[in-house]
Amino acid sequence: MALRSVNLPGVGTKYEFETDKGDIVAIFFTKTATIQMYTLQKGCHTPSAAEMTPMEARRLGNILTGAIIEAESESVEIAFSALADLRITIHTYLIQKSIAGKTIEDLQIRTKTGVTIIAVSRKDKNIINPPPSFVFETGDAVVVIGETDQLKRFEREVMVD
Amino acid sequence: MEGIVLALFLCVLLALITKYLSIPPIPFYIIGGVLLGKSGFALVNSDEISRFFSQMGLIFLLFFMGLELKLDRIAANRSSVLTSGVIDLNINMVIGFVAAYMFGFSLLESLVIASAFYISSTAMAITSLIENRKLMMREAETVIWLMMFEDLALILFLAIISAGDQNPMLFFIKIAGVLGIMYIIAHYGKEFLISLLDRSDELPILFTFGAVLTTASFSMYIGVPETMMVIALGAALATTDPDAFEMHARPFKDVFLVVFFVFFGITINLAGGVNMMVILIISILAVVSKFISGILTGIFIHESALAGIEIWGNTIGRGEFSIALAALYGSPIVATTIAGMVIITSIVGAFTAKYCTGLRRWMTMPGRRRVTHHSHGH
Repeated sequence: MALRSVNLPGVGTKYEFETDKGDIVAIFFTKTATIQMYTLQKGCHTPSAAEMTPMEARRLGNILTGAIIEAESESVEIAFSALADLRITIHTYLIQKSIAGKTIEDLQIRTKTGVTIIAVSRKDKNIINPPPSFVFETGDAVVVIGETDQLKRFEREVMVD
Repeated sequence: MEGIVLALFLCVLLALITKYLSIPPIPFYIIGGVLLGKSGFALVNSDEISRFFSQMGLIFLLFFMGLELKLDRIAANRSSVLTSGVIDLNINMVIGFVAAYMFGFSLLESLVIASAFYISSTAMAITSLIENRKLMMREAETVIWLMMFEDLALILFLAIISAGDQNPMLFFIKIAGVLGIMYIIAHYGKEFLISLLDRSDELPILFTFGAVLTTASFSMYIGVPETMMVIALGAALATTDPDAFEMHARPFKDVFLVVFFVFFGITINLAGGVNMMVILIISILAVVSKFISGILTGIFIHESALAGIEIWGNTIGRGEFSIALAALYGSPIVATTIAGMVIITSIVGAFTAKYCTGLRRWMTMPGRRRVTHHSHGH
């Protein structure tokens, strides 16, 4: 696989590579902040194209790097095949009124469910690794990491309260 | 002042409509200007303010072009850029010049018309490649480099046309002097410029605007063409942090350039002895001559005449640089002729850019006569 990158004046940056099977993939980061992806099957003359926003391109990138995106919109499962097929899921939830005002410690999240809250997004600010004394507010988006079963338990026992 | 407000309001409307239909806005700004101006409803007149705005538009257009000029990249791609560029330059300049001269324009007028006839719109070509999703085609790269070559040729025209009756020795010494100063500033002040552009306050944008304006007025003061010098400034500053300069210059370019187009339309005088037949014939020739140069480029670069159809389809539209030449050096009749050609070719070009791939596929369809050359990608 030979990767070629060119800076095209006025257009942006082009990345192109040919797969072992002879198909060609080309990606263009244009100056209008859109990303165009072209694929050209070996033996064909007309490529097919998809235009993406940066956000959509990142999602596509996540899929291509091997993370499996579940059907629910904001959940990512990462499989580490080298580590005895370790599977970890990262999920986001919105804090409802029922648990607003409580701390992570009050809710005993880790002892009860096994999951860990790794980040909280509040308005435009992100809090990474919130301490046990962290108080939730309605509308906080929390990023939770754990195994699928642990996340199910978290949904049943904490989010419903 | 009310005139500019009215003109800008019309431009916002036109921009909305053309973006929605994804067609090039430039011809519609000019048509809008014609309707507002003395050839239309006579609602808006050009005045001191609008002339200043228009001049800013022209200067920022050229500064932006300079920022995009990657001389080192052109040098690295020399052979293919030169082949396509020389074919394009020769064929279109000759056809444009002969046509204009036969219609009775003077030598200098014919030279201005031929230059405007030759130079395709970089903005339209690149927008159409992106919007019609053609970036992956090999021909797209040829088109992009062709536009670069045309930009270089424009700098040469600006020098030749504006040298005029000056003492050529003195003229070139002055130009070399200004270029030297720019090079020294860009080379030795690089670190400082990059740190300046990195700030988040008003300094970067103030500096960009100031640098362009200072260069333009200093050039006028010592009598060298300010148009050429702002391109050179752009090229010099592109060696520091071109993306930052583009970001800070873009708002000025976007607003002033639209004012430039619409007021160019406003000052057009259709009553001044303009022959519509001449405009129509020159426009048709403009489409045909790009066809000839496109096919030849296709044969020489891609070994396929059909590849030339793609090159042709994306380079028919004449636009911003043709209008710039008309505004700088055109007599009223020349300016109107060029404006007509820009309007017709850019509208035709918008269609060919969309449908030339289909046309090319139709020509290679089985059942039609076999075409010896096939367009293989690489």
